[in-house]
Amino acid sequence: MKRRTLLLSALGASGALLVGWGVAPPRSRLGKPDSMLPTQGSVGLNGWIKIGEDGAVVLAMPRSEMGQGVHTALAMLAAEELDIALDKVRLEQAGPDAMYGNVAAVLAFLPFHPKQTEEGQRSATVKTAQWLTAKVGRELGLIMTGGSSSVADAWEPVRLAAASARASLAQAAASQWNVPVTELVFKQGKISHASGKVGHFGEFATAAAKLNPGTVSPKARKDWTLIGSPAPRTDLWAKSSGSAIFGLDVRLPNMVFAAVRLCPMIGGSVQSVDSAATLAMPGVLKVIPLKPSHGASAGLAVVGKTTWHARQGAQALQVQWAQRPQGALDTREAMDHIQAQLAKEEGYTFHERGTVPTSGDTLSATYSAPYLGHATMEPMNCTAWLQDGKLSVWAPAQVPEAARKAAAKAAGLSVSKVDIHITILGGGFGRRLEVDYVVLAAQVAMALPGQPVQLTWSREEDSGNDFFRPMHVAQLEASHDGLGQVQSLQIKSAGDSISPRWMERVLPAFAGPFDAPDKTDSEGLFDLPYGFAHQKMAHVATKVGIPVGFWRSVGHSHNAFFSESFIDELAAKAGTNPLAFRRQWLQDAPRHLAVLNLAAEKAQWGKTLPEGQAQGIALHESFGSIVAQVARVSMEGGALRVHEVFCAIDCGTVVNPAIVAQQMEGSVVFALSAALWGGVDIVQGEVQQRNFHQHPVLGMAQAPQVHTYIVPSERTPAGVGEPGVPPLAPAVANAVFALNGQRLRSLPLKVA
Amino acid sequence: MELQINGRRTQADAAPATPLLWVLRDQLNLTGTKFGCGIAACGACTVHVDGQAVRSCVTPVSAVQGKDIRTIESLGSAEHPHALQQAWIAEQVPQCGYCQSGMLMAAAALLARTPHPTDADIDAAMSNICRCGTYQRVRAAIHRAANSVSSGASNTANQSAVNSADAQRTGSAA
Repeated sequence: MKRRTLLLSALGASGALLVGWGVAPPRSRLGKPDSMLPTQGSVGLNGWIKIGEDGAVVLAMPRSEMGQGVHTALAMLAAEELDIALDKVRLEQAGPDAMYGNVAAVLAFLPFHPKQTEEGQRSATVKTAQWLTAKVGRELGLIMTGGSSSVADAWEPVRLAAASARASLAQAAASQWNVPVTELVFKQGKISHASGKVGHFGEFATAAAKLNPGTVSPKARKDWTLIGSPAPRTDLWAKSSGSAIFGLDVRLPNMVFAAVRLCPMIGGSVQSVDSAATLAMPGVLKVIPLKPSHGASAGLAVVGKTTWHARQGAQALQVQWAQRPQGALDTREAMDHIQAQLAKEEGYTFHERGTVPTSGDTLSATYSAPYLGHATMEPMNCTAWLQDGKLSVWAPAQVPEAARKAAAKAAGLSVSKVDIHITILGGGFGRRLEVDYVVLAAQVAMALPGQPVQLTWSREEDSGNDFFRPMHVAQLEASHDGLGQVQSLQIKSAGDSISPRWMERVLPAFAGPFDAPDKTDSEGLFDLPYGFAHQKMAHVATKVGIPVGFWRSVGHSHNAFFSESFIDELAAKAGTNPLAFRRQWLQDAPRHLAVLNLAAEKAQWGKTLPEGQAQGIALHESFGSIVAQVARVSMEGGALRVHEVFCAIDCGTVVNPAIVAQQMEGSVVFALSAALWGGVDIVQGEVQQRNFHQHPVLGMAQAPQVHTYIVPSERTPAGVGEPGVPPLAPAVANAVFALNGQRLRSLPLKVA
Repeated sequence: MELQINGRRTQADAAPATPLLWVLRDQLNLTGTKFGCGIAACGACTVHVDGQAVRSCVTPVSAVQGKDIRTIESLGSAEHPHALQQAWIAEQVPQCGYCQSGMLMAAAALLARTPHPTDADIDAAMSNICRCGTYQRVRAAIHRAANSVSSGASNTANQSAVNSADAQRTGSAA
């Protein structure tokens, strides 16, 4: 506990230093009328809302759309307050102002147990730490789409901004028409009065911008017409017609195309290169050396008339590569190292309650998970153009400002000379929280002054130069009275930490000289809802050195497999069925219990199944949301088959239940691919699985039917994009145990 | 060389071995067709050649000369969407959307060949990869489109699919 206090004090001190106690006003995230970039004829009302001449509402959009539906959800918040149709909200990429930083994502890094951060349960220490961190987060202005935090973060500022805009427009109309503001009606972008007067927003915007809307509150819950409805996503047609513009679809005048040839050995370098054959190929224009930085590998880029010319040229390069100076990375050695450290070290204690007894009957098990790649459908790519000393970048990125700064650094330009345009993302899953692909494109553009260039990675380079979900190993031990009464649960895990490595690559200015304990190491282990009286969870942060990054649901993705499988083991040991066992230990966790019960009820837990089939259940909280899943499995032709998944979620107030359902379906498929087949092997520094035939992912024929049920809630919105991932692997593994008695303790699941 | 793309004769300056994908994307700016793997494993690059779904990332442009090439850009328009596009919207299929052009083109070829596909037909024909996990909605949308087209009055059926989506939109935004 002492170390926790130390950590918080350090955080507090840096917070005080950064913001000077209480400098940031409470409404600092509303911004000013000129916070948004001015465009022809439009008038800014605050940092989020601008009104077009034609009355259109323009919403500043600091979050990236990668399938999770954030462009729809945030637009719904604005449309609700302004009483306009959802498709009338026009989105405009937000600028670099710190007001667009993701405070909720920063807050989530605090290593608190969920019970400590429950509304109404927060101690003074927790409140202080959260307050300080929010302030630091606001100052940092970390514009980032990740951590399932976008709706939670935008919930207050966007609704408040839209409500303020509405109030200003109303005041302007009332004063122009000389009628009481309370008599005005807002409908479909028009303001009207019973006297017959009517006008669109654009007619009042200039006057409204000069007014102070005063104290404004967002609409009351009972008045919502859009929030909570399954409104169709606003990007359906663009994504059903090929017209959505992803990073790879950027087209600029006289653009050329580039391919990369990166060092196949992670951390290695170029020793010598013979590009004569490449340069002799038709359509090849140039070969450019690439310097490693911000996590990018060393290598070369080949520029061609088309991507195909560039790809052919890249393949024809004759390169002598040098191995990583500290020695080749290898996943087998990584496993040995992690296991040795786990046995040797005590680790950092993330949670402790009661006194873990040293005697009594115990049940113990060791679980492990492999390195995993992201495999977004759209391979890494970035387009850049150096014109008159200014660099423009088009990137499908989750961290626009970090990408802009990294591009500037790589180009040797000041940040003010670089602008960035965020496209639609063809999948993110955490891979695009990195900036390596932007850095490489910036280098290529600097070598081609005046010439726009699109840099596209092959699938092989994309798979081979990823930032992998880290390999982790965990020892779990419970003591019990032999009759199913668990007395203690002790978990020690080991593996590389993601956050400090990511900071070094993406936010180097904030990387520290030593690694602070990384909550993502132990999330999903230290924060369990079960009421065991004695608990201790610690993590040994290793430094294997294989590049690790955020992977959809991060630490939860493997830790839930460890913890929820082990809970199933405890149930079996107690001779209780897995549902009843969980219920028994969730008496102080009513929300968890409700989610668990809903999934069990909908799946008809315990019903008689066809011969050869079995159900498994798992429950997990992550990103503020609680998800329970029941998987129905069988063996088909020697392979494990998941037929159906019943999924219940409590994610607080729901903005769009249709998107929640999409995310649960997607999470199940994403998690099942990893659970059945996921794993990256690195031998002599080289990633062995480089394309889909080597790292298969789930297809139509293997996809289970997912049924989603939402627990009604009036709490603040919580995460949706990731919480569906963690419970899937343990639900499936627990179903395998129910099916044939095999307890699978490592991923991917291999049924003997 | 001359290619017949989306009903138009188009000139392309490409070596015979160039995969059709890169001619479409980088020379003709038909970017709806996507690059995903380069080895015909993911299906993001699916187009139609004489009505058959083919993976353009491994199809040399010389092999499709004189043939009828169709890309996602010709499947339907906002004014006249294809029955599958209407079904895609009604079922709210896309998430990130990157694989969806290929999914739609594979589904369109399937329906042209098998107007009433069974689930097994869909499993066999739809080998496209989607990392967002839209599979169950893709399946539902294919069935929906098959039913709307086969109900005899395809216009009416298609219209009703659009109407129901519209109704949902209006209803929710009212």
